[in-house]
Amino acid sequence: MTRYTYYPGCTLYTKARNLDLCARKAAEKVGFELVEMPSWNCCGAIYNAASDDLAAQVGPLRNLAKASQLGDKLVTLCAACHNVLKRVADRLSQPGNEVERDRLVAFVDEKFDRPVRVLHYLEVLKNEIGWDKVKEKVTKPLAGLKVASYYGCLMVRPKDVLEFDDPENPQVMDDLMRVLGAVPTRFDFKAECCGGYLVVNRRDVAKSASKKILDNAKAWGAEAIVTTCPLCQYNLDKLRVTTDGSIPVFYFTQLLGVAVGLTQDELGLEHNAGDPAGFLKAKGLL
Amino acid sequence: MTQDASRLTSDAGNTHAEAPGVDPRAPSVRRVGVFVCHCGINIAGVVKIPEVLERVGKLPGVVVTKDYKYCCSDPGQQMIRDSIKDDRLDRVVVACCSPTLHETTFRNACDEAGLNPYLCEIANIREQCAWVTEDKDEATTKACGIVRTTLTKVVHDQPLEALTVPINKRALVVGAGIAGIQAALDIANAGYEVVLVEKEPSIGGHMAQLSETFPTLDCSQCILTPRTVETGRHPKIKLMTYSEIDSVAGYVGNFKVKIRQKARYVDFKTCTGCGACLEKCPGRTEAWFERGLVRGKAIYRLLPQAVPNRPVIDAKSCLYLTKGKCGVCAKVCPTGAIRYDDTDKFVEEEVGAIVLATGYELFDATKLGSYGFGLVPDVIDGLAFERLLSASGPTSGEVKRPSDGKTPKKIVFVQCAGSRDSTTGMPYCSKICCMYTAKQAILYRHRVHDGEAVICYIDVRTPGKGFEEFYKRATDDGIKYLRGKVSKIYRQGDKVVVWAADTLAGRKVELEADMVVLATAVIANPDGVALARKLKTQIDSHGFMTEAHPKLRPVETLTAGFFLAGCGQGPKDIPETVAQASAAAAKVLAMFGNTRLTHSPTTAEVDEEICVGCGYCERTCAYDAVKVDPARKKAVVNAALCEGCGACAVACPSGAMTHKNFTKKAIFEMADSF
Repeated sequence: MTRYTYYPGCTLYTKARNLDLCARKAAEKVGFELVEMPSWNCCGAIYNAASDDLAAQVGPLRNLAKASQLGDKLVTLCAACHNVLKRVADRLSQPGNEVERDRLVAFVDEKFDRPVRVLHYLEVLKNEIGWDKVKEKVTKPLAGLKVASYYGCLMVRPKDVLEFDDPENPQVMDDLMRVLGAVPTRFDFKAECCGGYLVVNRRDVAKSASKKILDNAKAWGAEAIVTTCPLCQYNLDKLRVTTDGSIPVFYFTQLLGVAVGLTQDELGLEHNAGDPAGFLKAKGLL
Repeated sequence: MTQDASRLTSDAGNTHAEAPGVDPRAPSVRRVGVFVCHCGINIAGVVKIPEVLERVGKLPGVVVTKDYKYCCSDPGQQMIRDSIKDDRLDRVVVACCSPTLHETTFRNACDEAGLNPYLCEIANIREQCAWVTEDKDEATTKACGIVRTTLTKVVHDQPLEALTVPINKRALVVGAGIAGIQAALDIANAGYEVVLVEKEPSIGGHMAQLSETFPTLDCSQCILTPRTVETGRHPKIKLMTYSEIDSVAGYVGNFKVKIRQKARYVDFKTCTGCGACLEKCPGRTEAWFERGLVRGKAIYRLLPQAVPNRPVIDAKSCLYLTKGKCGVCAKVCPTGAIRYDDTDKFVEEEVGAIVLATGYELFDATKLGSYGFGLVPDVIDGLAFERLLSASGPTSGEVKRPSDGKTPKKIVFVQCAGSRDSTTGMPYCSKICCMYTAKQAILYRHRVHDGEAVICYIDVRTPGKGFEEFYKRATDDGIKYLRGKVSKIYRQGDKVVVWAADTLAGRKVELEADMVVLATAVIANPDGVALARKLKTQIDSHGFMTEAHPKLRPVETLTAGFFLAGCGQGPKDIPETVAQASAAAAKVLAMFGNTRLTHSPTTAEVDEEICVGCGYCERTCAYDAVKVDPARKKAVVNAALCEGCGACAVACPSGAMTHKNFTKKAIFEMADSF
């Protein structure tokens, strides 16, 4: 079984327990292992675009250095962690940034054994394992469940660095849902902003942003939304229970978990708002 | 010298008669004149000309050095002509701009002074030196090096005679849109035969789809049909519709073209174009001409005014051809013109010149993920809106939106949908969209008086006669212009929502419209791109065919005998297309005005004593100019086809293949001398 160094990040240990839990279990079912890297620290949370603020790169750099001592790949799951780590790795590998990199490496007092490729869990499924292999492991196909894949802003942008998918019309989660037996629905707001951190001080703005996403998914006939970002999940999920509560918002790993036969306990559904277990039961998936 | 001395028949060796005991034909006893051009300050501003003259003057073989402010001018050329006579020069080096600009100029000057033109060489000290070097001393040294290298070559040069080939005075025009039609008519009206090939069943191209044309608003059909009818009836034009170019062999003046005439399943001679079959056919297909607004029939013609006015059957959607059932068209045809057993036919034509008028297509807007095209039925492209506006379109000119047939009360027009965007791979301006969008908005308001038109734009570009006034007319008419790029288009209920920006007011704008029209980027017609690749004529990174010179040879290509007209060369409007098509025709006619064509003699040649017929040269040649004679096992160069690129001489493992005036010995000496 292929082993990958895995960086969970802080949210996956707290609010987004459900994203992490079934990701690890589902990986074993699909045929790879996530080995959590020791003594990881905060990813930096937001990629710092200022070129003179080196302190903001220290956190992500230390994680990358640690990971480089273990292998040449680092798997992430949270869209925000993925974005920050991948962009810092890219920035420090650019010609002309050697001085910056050397100063940072000296500061964190870590060895950089080799360049590290930051991979998202979805990239591992698609490019390292392959959709055919994933399909073989599906024991409970999602029975035509209509799913809108919501990528948010961080997963696919900026395109040149993330190299993941089309930033305006990403497909990778749609493809996964298809492999799992669900029907990916069309959806106009795949990569729009959920409101992000504005939920802290401008709740109204975040609400209206999230509402557009939920309304549009529903208008296209989606029965559920999947995402890979804890903040997106929080904003959408919180909003929907405070409004009409109609479509549940899952992490993609949860539906992956359902399809490869994880038990209800392993899905961490209690962390989702509303009654996701009831929804899945009604659909005959639990 | 690798060349056989017996070949040097007219060498100007007589000037060395006074040097006894020295072979007058040896490169070491040449009398070379070096002429250094200032090119205003282009060269003289960087290169120290007096120093170049002094250093070059000391080189062996140089008998005279001169400089002049503009050597290409008449006095400059006279200086060279005089010097050839006065100083008894037998070789000339002109240190100036690129040979692509003035090699011919200076060679002609030498010819006039009695020196074989191929004994004159250009040392490019402008593009390759002065323009790219900042330091004056460095530039001067480099210029001396370039002159010295050219000098090393020129002493090896042999006099050559230009080749001449006969011309077949028939032209092929590929594509019968307005560009091809215009070029064909101009050539035919001058009395020469034209073969006009069109891949669609009838001629007229995209112009036949348009409603009215900017900036005069005259009806596209009304101005086009006289031309299509004239083309169809012209005794000198052989019209081949529903046909494609399969291959082109030969060379300028003497092309052999193989044309594939696609199976039409209708005998054009028997068919009268009555249209009975069109009414009864139950087969359904995509109608590209109507831009997907309606479904077409399996037997179809593009429009009622089609030239030729004969239908064809789309084999993929015909029930009889796919399932063996139906056959209704054959039953109702009063003349028995249906031929279900029709097959593709190949026709060979011989022509002397080819006009490539392959036209454009619109970029597939489904690739613009955020604009909803293909997902939202009421988001359409500019050509589809032309069909809605056209009196011969699916709605007879009434503006009705595709989803429910209602009259849209508010339309948002989105300019630069794909154009001017490096992330889509189309950083260029599509040129026609600003004007046709203004036109479409005006026409929409003519049809729907209480309709609201909003145009989202980045810049409005109106460089054309009457264009700015037309744009003013649009703004005066109450059409709203909103400056900012549209970021997203999606459906909400029965409305289409457009996220735009008003950058002049500095705010985000959300518009609710009944319909959205995308001014999608103009791209080179993919079939034209494929043809250009097949013909090995140059295209740019976007697939547009490349002209020989962007300013001075805009309708010629670097492949002799190929000419360009219309949007296949780059986006352009109808007046510009027609002008370019007439220009291409004029170039063809200028060529047909000669009885024979000259061709540069600096081609490849084979030493048959050495050649073993391995065929490396044949595989290397991009112009099909070298073939191995299988009987004699020797490579044979077709000098008329050879462009003198030298690739075969490089590929030849035995050294049998050489390039006239570019021998290996000369090249090695040039490299050593630099």
